[in-house]
Amino acid sequence: MRKASYSVTRLQRHGYIFILPTLVFFSLFLIYPIISAFRLSLFEWNLLAPKEFVGLQNFIKMAGDSRLLNSYLRTIHFSAVSVAAINLLAFVFAVMLGSRLLRFKNFWQSLIFLPVVLSIVAVGVVWEFMYQGTGLIPIVLREIIGVSPDWLTDTRVAPYAVIITYVWRSVGYYMVIYIAGLLGVPESYYEAARIDGAGFWAQLFYITIPSLRNTFTLAIVSCVIFTFGQFSIQYVITQGGPSRSTEVLSLLIFREAFRLSKFGYSSGISVIFFLTLLIFSLIQLRLFKSGAVGA
Amino acid sequence: MSSVRVTKRTQSTILYLVVASVGIIFVFPFFWMVLSSFKLNKDILAVPLRFFPPVWNWNSYVRVFTAYPDFNFPRYILNSFIVTISAVLLCLFFSATSGYGFAKYRFKGNNFFFTLVLATIMIPFQAIVVPLFILVRQMGLQNSYAGLIIPESLTAFGVFMMRQFFYSVPDEFIESARIDGANEYAIFTRISMPMANTALLALVIFHAQWVWNLLIWPLILISTPEKVVLAQGIALFKGGYNTPYPEQLAAGVIACLPLVILYIFLSKYFVQGITMTGLKG
Repeated sequence: MRKASYSVTRLQRHGYIFILPTLVFFSLFLIYPIISAFRLSLFEWNLLAPKEFVGLQNFIKMAGDSRLLNSYLRTIHFSAVSVAAINLLAFVFAVMLGSRLLRFKNFWQSLIFLPVVLSIVAVGVVWEFMYQGTGLIPIVLREIIGVSPDWLTDTRVAPYAVIITYVWRSVGYYMVIYIAGLLGVPESYYEAARIDGAGFWAQLFYITIPSLRNTFTLAIVSCVIFTFGQFSIQYVITQGGPSRSTEVLSLLIFREAFRLSKFGYSSGISVIFFLTLLIFSLIQLRLFKSGAVGA
Repeated sequence: MSSVRVTKRTQSTILYLVVASVGIIFVFPFFWMVLSSFKLNKDILAVPLRFFPPVWNWNSYVRVFTAYPDFNFPRYILNSFIVTISAVLLCLFFSATSGYGFAKYRFKGNNFFFTLVLATIMIPFQAIVVPLFILVRQMGLQNSYAGLIIPESLTAFGVFMMRQFFYSVPDEFIESARIDGANEYAIFTRISMPMANTALLALVIFHAQWVWNLLIWPLILISTPEKVVLAQGIALFKGGYNTPYPEQLAAGVIACLPLVILYIFLSKYFVQGITMTGLKG
Protein backbone atom coordinates (compact mmCIF):
# COMPACT_ATOMS: atom_id res chain seq x y z
CA MET A 1 0.00 0.00 0.00
CA ARG A 2 2.72 2.40 1.01
CA LYS A 3 4.82 1.39 -1.89
CA ALA A 4 2.00 1.96 -4.36
CA SER A 5 1.31 5.47 -3.13
CA TYR A 6 5.03 6.24 -3.28
CA SER A 7 5.23 5.27 -6.95
CA VAL A 8 2.05 7.22 -7.70
CA THR A 9 3.66 10.31 -6.19
CA ARG A 10 6.75 9.76 -8.30
CA LEU A 11 4.61 9.39 -11.37
CA GLN A 12 2.84 12.64 -10.62
CA ARG A 13 6.16 14.43 -10.48
CA HIS A 14 6.46 14.13 -14.24
CA GLY A 15 4.08 17.06 -14.21
CA TYR A 16 6.97 19.33 -13.24
CA ILE A 17 8.79 18.49 -16.44
CA PHE A 18 5.71 19.26 -18.50
CA ILE A 19 5.26 22.69 -16.95
CA LEU A 20 8.94 23.57 -16.72
CA PRO A 21 9.46 25.24 -20.13
CA THR A 22 6.37 27.40 -19.63
CA LEU A 23 7.38 28.37 -16.10
CA VAL A 24 10.89 29.38 -17.18
CA PHE A 25 9.82 31.44 -20.17
CA PHE A 26 6.83 33.07 -18.50
CA SER A 27 8.94 34.02 -15.51
CA LEU A 28 11.70 35.48 -17.63
CA PHE A 29 9.67 37.32 -20.27
CA LEU A 30 6.50 38.31 -18.41
CA ILE A 31 6.94 38.22 -14.64
CA TYR A 32 10.49 39.52 -14.46
CA PRO A 33 9.72 42.52 -16.76
CA ILE A 34 6.77 43.66 -14.67
CA ILE A 35 8.87 43.54 -11.50
CA SER A 36 11.61 45.27 -13.42
CA ALA A 37 9.17 48.05 -14.40
CA PHE A 38 8.60 48.83 -10.73
CA ARG A 39 12.35 48.91 -10.06
CA LEU A 40 13.18 51.01 -13.14
CA SER A 41 10.53 53.56 -12.24
CA LEU A 42 12.81 54.62 -9.37
CA PHE A 43 15.66 55.45 -11.74
CA GLU A 44 16.53 57.93 -14.40
CA TRP A 45 18.08 56.14 -17.33
CA ASN A 46 18.61 56.72 -21.06
CA LEU A 47 20.16 53.25 -21.60
CA LEU A 48 23.58 54.74 -22.38
CA ALA A 49 24.65 56.66 -19.25
CA PRO A 50 24.67 54.75 -15.93
CA LYS A 51 21.35 54.42 -14.15
CA GLU A 52 20.74 57.16 -11.61
CA PHE A 53 18.58 56.41 -8.57
CA VAL A 54 16.00 59.16 -8.14
CA GLY A 55 13.58 57.57 -5.66
CA LEU A 56 10.00 58.63 -6.18
CA GLN A 57 10.93 61.66 -8.24
CA ASN A 58 9.50 60.16 -11.45
CA PHE A 59 6.15 59.78 -9.71
CA ILE A 60 6.28 63.33 -8.36
CA LYS A 61 7.01 64.56 -11.87
CA MET A 62 4.17 62.45 -13.22
CA ALA A 63 1.70 64.05 -10.81
CA GLY A 64 2.35 67.41 -12.45
CA ASP A 65 2.65 66.17 -16.03
CA SER A 66 -0.34 67.54 -17.92
CA ARG A 67 0.51 65.48 -20.98
CA LEU A 68 0.33 62.29 -18.92
CA LEU A 69 -2.93 63.39 -17.30
CA ASN A 70 -4.34 64.06 -20.76
CA SER A 71 -3.27 60.59 -21.95
CA TYR A 72 -4.67 58.93 -18.87
CA LEU A 73 -8.06 60.59 -19.28
CA ARG A 74 -8.06 59.93 -23.05
CA THR A 75 -7.34 56.26 -22.39
CA ILE A 76 -10.17 55.99 -19.87
CA HIS A 77 -12.54 57.80 -22.22
CA PHE A 78 -11.52 55.62 -25.16
CA SER A 79 -11.85 52.45 -23.08
CA ALA A 80 -15.15 53.31 -21.40
CA VAL A 81 -16.94 54.30 -24.60
CA SER A 82 -15.45 51.44 -26.64
CA VAL A 83 -16.13 48.74 -24.07
CA ALA A 84 -19.72 49.89 -23.58
CA ALA A 85 -20.39 50.11 -27.32
CA ILE A 86 -18.66 46.83 -28.17
CA ASN A 87 -20.46 44.79 -25.52
CA LEU A 88 -23.85 46.36 -26.14
CA LEU A 89 -23.65 45.79 -29.89
CA ALA A 90 -22.12 42.32 -29.50
CA PHE A 91 -24.95 41.27 -27.19
CA VAL A 92 -27.67 42.73 -29.43
CA PHE A 93 -26.18 41.04 -32.51
CA ALA A 94 -25.88 37.75 -30.65
CA VAL A 95 -29.56 37.91 -29.66
CA MET A 96 -30.57 38.83 -33.22
CA LEU A 97 -28.56 35.97 -34.70
CA GLY A 98 -30.04 33.64 -32.09
CA SER A 99 -33.59 34.37 -33.26
CA ARG A 100 -35.53 31.39 -34.56
CA LEU A 101 -36.87 33.60 -37.34
CA LEU A 102 -33.43 33.88 -38.90
CA ARG A 103 -31.84 31.42 -41.31
CA PHE A 104 -28.25 31.22 -42.65
CA LYS A 105 -26.93 32.16 -39.21
CA ASN A 106 -23.37 31.13 -39.97
CA PHE A 107 -23.32 33.37 -43.02
CA TRP A 108 -24.49 36.46 -41.11
CA GLN A 109 -22.18 35.67 -38.25
CA SER A 110 -19.15 35.45 -40.52
CA LEU A 111 -19.99 38.84 -42.09
CA ILE A 112 -19.91 40.55 -38.70
CA PHE A 113 -16.85 38.54 -37.71
CA LEU A 114 -14.82 39.43 -40.82
CA PRO A 115 -13.20 42.62 -39.41
CA VAL A 116 -11.74 40.57 -36.53
CA VAL A 117 -9.49 38.65 -38.89
CA LEU A 118 -8.36 41.65 -40.93
CA SER A 119 -4.90 43.09 -40.37
CA ILE A 120 -5.23 45.90 -37.80
CA VAL A 121 -2.83 48.11 -39.71
CA ALA A 122 -4.86 47.61 -42.88
CA VAL A 123 -8.01 48.47 -40.93
CA GLY A 124 -6.32 51.69 -39.81
CA VAL A 125 -5.27 52.49 -43.37
CA VAL A 126 -8.73 52.04 -44.87
CA TRP A 127 -10.62 53.93 -42.14
CA GLU A 128 -8.18 56.83 -42.24
CA PHE A 129 -8.81 56.89 -45.98
CA MET A 130 -12.59 56.80 -45.52
CA TYR A 131 -12.49 59.65 -42.96
CA GLN A 132 -10.73 62.00 -45.42
CA GLY A 133 -12.60 65.20 -46.36
CA THR A 134 -13.74 63.80 -49.69
CA GLY A 135 -13.68 60.21 -48.48
CA LEU A 136 -16.59 57.84 -48.27
CA ILE A 137 -17.87 58.62 -44.78
CA PRO A 138 -18.19 62.44 -45.09
CA ILE A 139 -19.73 62.06 -48.55
CA VAL A 140 -22.32 59.54 -47.38
CA LEU A 141 -23.11 61.60 -44.27
CA ARG A 142 -23.59 64.79 -46.31
CA GLU A 143 -25.86 62.86 -48.64
CA ILE A 144 -28.02 61.55 -45.79
CA ILE A 145 -28.04 64.22 -43.06
CA GLY A 146 -26.50 67.17 -44.87
CA VAL A 147 -23.41 67.64 -42.66
CA SER A 148 -20.28 65.79 -41.66
CA PRO A 149 -17.72 66.70 -38.99
CA ASP A 150 -14.01 66.92 -39.78
CA TRP A 151 -13.27 63.43 -38.53
CA LEU A 152 -9.51 63.62 -38.28
CA THR A 153 -8.82 67.30 -37.59
CA ASP A 154 -11.47 68.24 -35.02
CA THR A 155 -10.21 67.42 -31.51
CA ARG A 156 -13.75 66.72 -30.31
CA VAL A 157 -14.47 64.27 -33.12
CA ALA A 158 -11.17 62.47 -33.72
CA PRO A 159 -11.44 60.33 -30.53
CA TYR A 160 -14.76 59.04 -31.85
CA ALA A 161 -13.29 58.35 -35.28
CA VAL A 162 -10.81 56.07 -33.53
CA ILE A 163 -13.48 54.53 -31.30
CA ILE A 164 -15.79 53.76 -34.25
CA THR A 165 -12.97 52.00 -36.06
CA TYR A 166 -11.99 50.00 -32.99
CA VAL A 167 -15.59 49.03 -32.20
CA TRP A 168 -16.20 47.96 -35.79
CA ARG A 169 -13.11 45.80 -35.68
CA SER A 170 -13.83 44.16 -32.29
CA VAL A 171 -17.59 43.56 -32.08
CA GLY A 172 -17.52 40.23 -33.92
CA TYR A 173 -15.14 38.70 -31.42
CA TYR A 174 -17.31 39.49 -28.43
CA MET A 175 -20.46 38.59 -30.34
CA VAL A 176 -19.15 35.02 -30.61
CA ILE A 177 -18.60 34.93 -26.85
CA TYR A 178 -22.20 36.03 -26.30
CA ILE A 179 -23.50 33.54 -28.87
CA ALA A 180 -21.71 30.78 -26.99
CA GLY A 181 -23.23 32.08 -23.76
CA LEU A 182 -26.73 32.09 -25.26
CA LEU A 183 -26.35 28.49 -26.40
CA GLY A 184 -25.68 27.57 -22.78
CA VAL A 185 -29.09 28.78 -21.57
CA PRO A 186 -31.39 25.73 -21.32
CA GLU A 187 -34.23 25.86 -23.84
CA SER A 188 -36.61 24.63 -21.12
CA TYR A 189 -36.38 28.02 -19.35
CA TYR A 190 -37.80 29.72 -22.43
CA GLU A 191 -40.47 27.08 -22.91
CA ALA A 192 -41.62 27.53 -19.32
CA ALA A 193 -41.65 31.32 -19.79
CA ARG A 194 -43.71 31.07 -22.97
CA ILE A 195 -46.24 28.86 -21.23
CA ASP A 196 -46.51 31.61 -18.60
CA GLY A 197 -47.17 34.05 -21.45
CA ALA A 198 -43.87 35.93 -21.33
CA GLY A 199 -43.13 37.89 -24.50
CA PHE A 200 -39.79 38.57 -26.15
CA TRP A 201 -38.79 41.43 -23.83
CA ALA A 202 -39.83 39.63 -20.67
CA GLN A 203 -37.79 36.60 -21.71
CA LEU A 204 -34.84 38.83 -22.50
CA PHE A 205 -34.84 40.64 -19.16
CA TYR A 206 -35.90 37.79 -16.87
CA ILE A 207 -34.12 34.83 -18.46
CA THR A 208 -31.45 35.73 -21.01
CA ILE A 209 -29.67 38.58 -19.26
CA PRO A 210 -29.60 37.02 -15.76
CA SER A 211 -28.37 33.70 -17.20
CA LEU A 212 -25.51 35.44 -18.97
CA ARG A 213 -24.18 37.22 -15.90
CA ASN A 214 -20.85 35.41 -15.97
CA THR A 215 -20.49 35.82 -19.71
CA PHE A 216 -21.07 39.56 -19.38
CA THR A 217 -18.48 39.93 -16.64
CA LEU A 218 -15.92 37.86 -18.48
CA ALA A 219 -16.44 39.60 -21.83
CA ILE A 220 -16.39 43.08 -20.31
CA VAL A 221 -13.33 42.51 -18.15
CA SER A 222 -11.25 41.00 -20.94
CA CYS A 223 -12.46 43.75 -23.25
CA VAL A 224 -11.23 46.36 -20.76
CA ILE A 225 -7.77 44.78 -20.66
CA PHE A 226 -7.43 44.63 -24.45
CA THR A 227 -8.90 48.08 -25.00
CA PHE A 228 -6.81 49.84 -22.37
CA GLY A 229 -3.63 48.81 -24.15
CA GLN A 230 -4.84 49.51 -27.68
CA PHE A 231 -2.00 50.98 -29.71
CA SER A 232 -2.14 50.10 -33.40
CA ILE A 233 -5.31 51.89 -34.42
CA GLN A 234 -4.30 55.22 -32.89
CA TYR A 235 -0.77 54.82 -34.20
CA VAL A 236 -1.94 54.28 -37.78
CA ILE A 237 -4.95 56.60 -37.99
CA THR A 238 -4.04 59.69 -35.96
CA GLN A 239 -0.56 59.20 -34.44
CA GLY A 240 -2.13 60.64 -31.27
CA GLY A 241 -3.33 63.84 -32.91
CA PRO A 242 -4.93 66.25 -33.52
CA SER A 243 -3.56 68.18 -30.51
CA ARG A 244 -3.00 64.92 -28.57
CA SER A 245 -6.72 64.23 -28.50
CA THR A 246 -6.13 60.53 -29.23
CA GLU A 247 -2.78 60.12 -27.49
CA VAL A 248 -3.56 57.09 -25.32
CA LEU A 249 -1.16 55.77 -22.68
CA SER A 250 0.48 53.12 -24.86
CA LEU A 251 1.36 55.80 -27.43
CA LEU A 252 2.79 57.98 -24.66
CA ILE A 253 4.88 55.11 -23.22
CA PHE A 254 6.14 54.37 -26.72
CA ARG A 255 7.07 58.00 -27.23
CA GLU A 256 8.68 58.65 -23.83
CA ALA A 257 10.78 55.49 -23.99
CA PHE A 258 11.68 55.01 -27.60
CA ARG A 259 11.63 58.52 -29.00
CA LEU A 260 12.88 60.43 -25.95
CA SER A 261 14.91 57.63 -24.28
CA LYS A 262 13.33 58.33 -20.88
CA PHE A 263 13.30 54.73 -19.74
CA GLY A 264 12.84 55.39 -16.03
CA TYR A 265 9.99 57.82 -16.52
CA SER A 266 8.21 55.63 -19.06
CA SER A 267 8.53 52.68 -16.65
CA GLY A 268 6.73 54.85 -14.11
CA ILE A 269 3.91 55.36 -16.59
CA SER A 270 3.84 51.59 -17.19
CA VAL A 271 3.48 51.03 -13.45
CA ILE A 272 0.48 53.39 -13.30
CA PHE A 273 -0.94 51.67 -16.37
CA PHE A 274 -0.49 48.25 -14.76
CA LEU A 275 -1.95 49.23 -11.39
CA THR A 276 -5.02 50.74 -13.04
CA LEU A 277 -5.74 47.48 -14.80
CA LEU A 278 -4.89 45.29 -11.83
CA ILE A 279 -8.26 45.68 -10.19
CA PHE A 280 -10.10 44.67 -13.36
CA SER A 281 -7.71 41.79 -13.96
CA LEU A 282 -8.14 40.37 -10.48
CA ILE A 283 -11.82 40.01 -11.19
CA GLN A 284 -10.98 38.22 -14.41
CA LEU A 285 -8.53 35.90 -12.70
CA ARG A 286 -11.14 34.89 -10.16
CA LEU A 287 -13.58 34.18 -12.94
CA PHE A 288 -11.11 32.01 -14.79
CA LYS A 289 -10.32 30.08 -11.66
CA SER A 290 -13.94 29.44 -10.81
CA GLY A 291 -14.44 28.29 -14.41
CA ALA A 292 -11.45 25.98 -14.20
CA VAL A 293 -12.74 24.38 -11.02
CA GLY A 294 -16.08 23.79 -12.68
CA ALA A 295 -14.52 21.91 -15.57
CA MET B 1 -54.80 33.18 -36.95
CA SER B 2 -53.86 34.92 -40.18
CA SER B 3 -53.01 38.14 -38.31
CA VAL B 4 -50.54 36.19 -36.18
CA ARG B 5 -48.92 34.92 -39.34
CA VAL B 6 -48.74 38.44 -40.79
CA THR B 7 -47.03 39.94 -37.71
CA LYS B 8 -44.62 37.03 -37.68
CA ARG B 9 -43.79 37.66 -41.30
CA THR B 10 -43.36 41.41 -40.62
CA GLN B 11 -41.09 40.65 -37.68
CA SER B 12 -38.99 38.33 -39.74
CA THR B 13 -38.76 40.85 -42.59
CA ILE B 14 -37.59 43.57 -40.20
CA LEU B 15 -35.09 41.19 -38.65
CA TYR B 16 -33.66 40.26 -42.04
CA LEU B 17 -33.42 43.93 -43.04
CA VAL B 18 -31.59 44.84 -39.84
CA VAL B 19 -29.24 41.85 -39.98
CA ALA B 20 -28.48 42.44 -43.64
CA SER B 21 -27.73 46.15 -43.05
CA VAL B 22 -25.46 45.30 -40.16
CA GLY B 23 -23.75 42.65 -42.27
CA ILE B 24 -23.16 45.14 -45.08
CA ILE B 25 -21.73 47.74 -42.69
CA PHE B 26 -19.29 45.17 -41.32
CA VAL B 27 -18.12 43.90 -44.69
CA PHE B 28 -18.18 47.14 -46.62
CA PRO B 29 -14.90 48.76 -45.50
CA PHE B 30 -12.98 45.66 -46.59
CA PHE B 31 -14.83 45.64 -49.88
CA TRP B 32 -14.09 49.37 -50.22
CA MET B 33 -10.41 48.78 -49.51
CA VAL B 34 -10.20 46.20 -52.29
CA LEU B 35 -12.21 48.32 -54.71
CA SER B 36 -10.24 51.49 -54.01
CA SER B 37 -6.90 49.74 -54.35
CA PHE B 38 -7.78 49.28 -58.03
CA LYS B 39 -8.47 52.98 -58.61
CA LEU B 40 -6.09 55.52 -60.06
CA ASN B 41 -4.76 58.04 -57.56
CA LYS B 42 -6.67 60.86 -59.29
CA ASP B 43 -10.00 59.00 -58.95
CA ILE B 44 -9.62 57.70 -55.44
CA LEU B 45 -10.84 60.78 -53.53
CA ALA B 46 -12.46 62.49 -56.50
CA VAL B 47 -15.66 64.51 -56.18
CA PRO B 48 -18.21 63.31 -57.11
CA LEU B 49 -17.49 59.91 -55.65
CA ARG B 50 -16.66 57.21 -58.17
CA PHE B 51 -17.99 54.01 -56.66
CA PHE B 52 -16.38 51.57 -59.08
CA PRO B 53 -12.96 52.32 -60.55
CA PRO B 54 -13.48 54.16 -63.88
CA VAL B 55 -10.34 52.33 -65.00
CA TRP B 56 -9.33 49.07 -63.31
CA ASN B 57 -5.74 49.66 -62.39
CA TRP B 58 -3.66 46.73 -61.16
CA ASN B 59 -0.55 48.80 -61.14
CA SER B 60 -0.65 49.72 -57.43
CA TYR B 61 -0.03 46.08 -56.54
CA VAL B 62 3.04 46.10 -58.75
CA ARG B 63 4.26 49.47 -57.52
CA VAL B 64 4.08 48.42 -53.84
CA PHE B 65 6.75 45.87 -54.66
CA THR B 66 8.84 47.78 -57.16
CA ALA B 67 8.47 51.55 -56.95
CA TYR B 68 9.83 52.14 -53.44
CA PRO B 69 13.49 51.24 -53.00
CA ASP B 70 13.28 51.96 -49.25
CA PHE B 71 10.55 49.38 -48.75
CA ASN B 72 11.14 45.70 -49.36
CA PHE B 73 7.65 44.23 -49.09
CA PRO B 74 8.53 40.70 -50.23
CA ARG B 75 11.00 40.59 -47.37
CA TYR B 76 8.45 41.99 -44.89
CA ILE B 77 5.95 39.34 -45.94
CA LEU B 78 8.58 36.62 -45.54
CA ASN B 79 9.54 37.98 -42.12
CA SER B 80 5.92 38.07 -41.00
CA PHE B 81 5.48 34.45 -42.06
CA ILE B 82 8.68 33.37 -40.31
CA VAL B 83 7.77 35.16 -37.09
CA THR B 84 4.10 34.14 -37.09
CA ILE B 85 4.71 30.47 -37.87
CA SER B 86 7.54 30.15 -35.33
CA ALA B 87 5.69 32.00 -32.60
CA VAL B 88 2.56 29.91 -33.16
CA LEU B 89 4.52 26.64 -33.04
CA LEU B 90 6.30 27.73 -29.90
CA CYS B 91 3.00 28.79 -28.38
CA LEU B 92 1.53 25.36 -29.18
CA PHE B 93 4.51 23.72 -27.49
CA PHE B 94 4.23 25.77 -24.29
CA SER B 95 0.46 25.57 -24.13
CA ALA B 96 0.17 21.85 -24.87
CA THR B 97 2.95 20.69 -22.53
CA SER B 98 2.01 22.84 -19.58
CA GLY B 99 -1.74 22.49 -20.17
CA TYR B 100 -1.22 18.72 -20.05
CA GLY B 101 1.00 18.91 -17.00
CA PHE B 102 -1.48 21.04 -15.09
CA ALA B 103 -4.48 18.97 -16.12
CA LYS B 104 -3.16 15.44 -15.77
CA TYR B 105 -0.66 15.43 -12.88
CA ARG B 106 -1.34 16.06 -9.22
CA PHE B 107 2.01 17.32 -8.03
CA LYS B 108 2.76 19.66 -5.19
CA GLY B 109 2.28 23.30 -6.17
CA ASN B 110 0.13 22.53 -9.21
CA ASN B 111 -2.45 25.12 -8.22
CA PHE B 112 0.14 27.68 -7.21
CA PHE B 113 2.06 27.48 -10.48
CA PHE B 114 -1.10 27.49 -12.53
CA THR B 115 -2.28 30.61 -10.74
CA LEU B 116 1.12 32.17 -11.37
CA VAL B 117 0.92 31.48 -15.11
CA LEU B 118 -2.68 32.61 -15.27
CA ALA B 119 -1.85 35.78 -13.37
CA THR B 120 0.21 36.92 -16.35
CA ILE B 121 -3.11 37.68 -18.05
CA MET B 122 -3.07 40.71 -15.76
CA ILE B 123 0.11 41.96 -17.41
CA PRO B 124 -0.81 43.84 -20.57
CA PHE B 125 1.94 43.75 -23.18
CA GLN B 126 2.03 47.54 -23.38
CA ALA B 127 2.81 47.76 -19.67
CA ILE B 128 6.00 45.68 -19.98
CA VAL B 129 7.38 46.78 -23.34
CA VAL B 130 10.00 49.04 -21.77
CA PRO B 131 11.63 46.50 -19.37
CA LEU B 132 11.08 43.73 -21.90
CA PHE B 133 12.96 45.72 -24.50
CA ILE B 134 15.83 46.29 -22.07
CA LEU B 135 15.93 42.57 -21.21
CA VAL B 136 15.83 41.41 -24.81
CA ARG B 137 18.46 43.94 -25.74
CA GLN B 138 20.73 42.76 -22.92
CA MET B 139 20.34 39.22 -24.24
CA GLY B 140 21.63 40.49 -27.57
CA LEU B 141 18.36 39.75 -29.33
CA GLN B 142 17.62 43.23 -30.64
CA ASN B 143 16.96 43.11 -34.38
CA SER B 144 16.66 39.33 -34.32
CA TYR B 145 13.87 36.91 -35.18
CA ALA B 146 14.24 35.28 -31.77
CA GLY B 147 13.68 38.63 -30.08
CA LEU B 148 10.39 39.01 -31.96
CA ILE B 149 9.30 35.40 -31.67
CA ILE B 150 9.89 34.45 -28.03
CA PRO B 151 7.93 37.21 -26.27
CA GLU B 152 5.13 36.87 -28.85
CA SER B 153 4.76 33.15 -28.24
CA LEU B 154 3.70 33.39 -24.60
CA THR B 155 0.03 33.46 -23.82
CA ALA B 156 -1.68 32.41 -20.64
CA PHE B 157 -4.87 32.04 -22.69
CA GLY B 158 -3.26 29.19 -24.57
CA VAL B 159 -2.16 27.42 -21.38
CA PHE B 160 -5.61 27.88 -19.91
CA MET B 161 -7.29 26.60 -23.05
CA MET B 162 -5.16 23.47 -23.34
CA ARG B 163 -5.58 22.71 -19.63
CA GLN B 164 -9.34 22.94 -20.04
CA PHE B 165 -9.13 20.64 -23.03
CA PHE B 166 -6.96 17.99 -21.36
CA TYR B 167 -9.29 17.98 -18.36
CA SER B 168 -11.98 16.71 -20.69
CA VAL B 169 -9.82 13.77 -21.85
CA PRO B 170 -10.69 10.75 -19.69
CA ASP B 171 -7.85 9.50 -17.46
CA GLU B 172 -8.60 5.90 -18.52
CA PHE B 173 -6.77 6.39 -21.83
CA ILE B 174 -3.64 7.39 -19.98
CA GLU B 175 -3.98 4.72 -17.30
CA SER B 176 -4.37 1.91 -19.79
CA ALA B 177 -1.32 3.10 -21.74
CA ARG B 178 0.66 3.13 -18.50
CA ILE B 179 -0.38 -0.44 -17.78
CA ASP B 180 0.86 -1.33 -21.28
CA GLY B 181 4.20 0.06 -20.19
CA ALA B 182 4.33 3.27 -22.21
CA ASN B 183 6.37 6.05 -20.58
CA GLU B 184 4.84 9.41 -19.75
CA TYR B 185 6.28 11.27 -22.74
CA ALA B 186 5.24 8.63 -25.24
CA ILE B 187 1.74 8.80 -23.79
CA PHE B 188 1.77 12.54 -24.26
CA THR B 189 3.00 12.55 -27.87
CA ARG B 190 1.27 9.41 -29.17
CA ILE B 191 -2.02 9.37 -27.29
CA SER B 192 -2.91 12.71 -25.76
CA MET B 193 -1.68 15.09 -28.45
CA PRO B 194 -3.53 13.46 -31.37
CA MET B 195 -6.75 13.84 -29.41
CA ALA B 196 -6.10 17.55 -29.04
CA ASN B 197 -6.26 18.39 -32.75
CA THR B 198 -9.32 20.59 -32.52
CA ALA B 199 -8.04 22.56 -29.56
CA LEU B 200 -4.63 22.97 -31.18
CA LEU B 201 -6.13 24.24 -34.44
CA ALA B 202 -8.25 26.69 -32.49
CA LEU B 203 -5.12 27.92 -30.78
CA VAL B 204 -3.30 28.19 -34.14
CA ILE B 205 -5.76 30.63 -35.63
CA PHE B 206 -6.28 32.42 -32.34
CA HIS B 207 -2.59 33.06 -31.85
CA ALA B 208 -1.63 33.55 -35.51
CA GLN B 209 -4.04 36.47 -35.59
CA TRP B 210 -2.42 38.04 -32.53
CA VAL B 211 1.16 37.63 -33.74
CA TRP B 212 0.46 38.72 -37.31
CA ASN B 213 -1.07 41.97 -36.02
CA LEU B 214 1.37 42.92 -33.32
CA LEU B 215 2.80 46.34 -34.12
CA ILE B 216 4.26 47.95 -31.03
CA TRP B 217 6.85 45.22 -30.37
CA PRO B 218 8.42 45.18 -33.87
CA LEU B 219 8.37 48.99 -33.94
CA ILE B 220 10.43 48.99 -30.75
CA LEU B 221 12.71 46.04 -31.34
CA ILE B 222 13.50 46.19 -35.04
CA SER B 223 15.50 48.94 -36.65
CA THR B 224 17.32 47.03 -39.39
CA PRO B 225 15.33 46.87 -42.65
CA GLU B 226 15.98 43.13 -43.13
CA LYS B 227 13.91 42.20 -40.06
CA VAL B 228 10.92 44.52 -40.50
CA VAL B 229 7.57 42.66 -40.42
CA LEU B 230 4.59 43.42 -42.62
CA ALA B 231 2.42 45.32 -40.11
CA GLN B 232 5.36 47.51 -39.21
CA GLY B 233 6.32 47.94 -42.88
CA ILE B 234 2.85 49.17 -43.80
CA ALA B 235 2.70 51.53 -40.82
CA LEU B 236 6.04 53.04 -41.87
CA PHE B 237 5.02 53.03 -45.54
CA LYS B 238 1.92 55.02 -44.63
CA GLY B 239 3.69 57.39 -42.27
CA GLY B 240 7.07 58.02 -43.86
CA TYR B 241 6.25 58.92 -47.42
CA ASN B 242 3.57 60.91 -49.08
CA THR B 243 2.37 57.52 -50.25
CA PRO B 244 -0.56 57.44 -52.68
CA TYR B 245 -3.70 55.85 -51.22
CA PRO B 246 -4.11 53.13 -53.86
CA GLU B 247 -0.71 51.77 -52.92
CA GLN B 248 -1.35 51.99 -49.17
CA LEU B 249 -4.61 50.13 -49.68
CA ALA B 250 -3.02 47.53 -51.94
CA ALA B 251 -0.46 46.83 -49.21
CA GLY B 252 -3.35 46.59 -46.73
CA VAL B 253 -5.19 44.06 -48.87
CA ILE B 254 -2.02 41.97 -49.11
CA ALA B 255 -1.66 42.06 -45.31
CA CYS B 256 -5.25 40.87 -44.87
CA LEU B 257 -5.15 37.94 -47.27
CA PRO B 258 -3.24 35.31 -45.24
CA LEU B 259 -5.53 35.62 -42.21
CA VAL B 260 -8.69 35.85 -44.28
CA ILE B 261 -7.66 32.65 -46.08
CA LEU B 262 -6.74 30.95 -42.80
CA TYR B 263 -10.10 32.02 -41.40
CA ILE B 264 -12.00 30.62 -44.38
CA PHE B 265 -10.42 27.21 -43.80
CA LEU B 266 -10.42 27.21 -40.01
CA SER B 267 -13.39 29.42 -39.11
CA LYS B 268 -15.06 26.58 -37.22
CA TYR B 269 -12.03 26.26 -34.95
CA PHE B 270 -11.72 29.99 -34.48
CA VAL B 271 -15.21 30.16 -33.06
CA GLN B 272 -14.52 27.10 -30.90
CA GLY B 273 -11.32 28.68 -29.67
CA ILE B 274 -13.07 31.83 -28.54
CA THR B 275 -15.70 29.71 -26.90
CA MET B 276 -13.14 27.57 -25.09
CA THR B 277 -11.12 30.48 -23.75
CA GLY B 278 -14.06 32.74 -23.19
CA LEU B 279 -16.75 30.63 -21.79
CA LYS B 280 -16.10 28.64 -18.69
CA GLY B 281 -17.88 30.93 -16.27
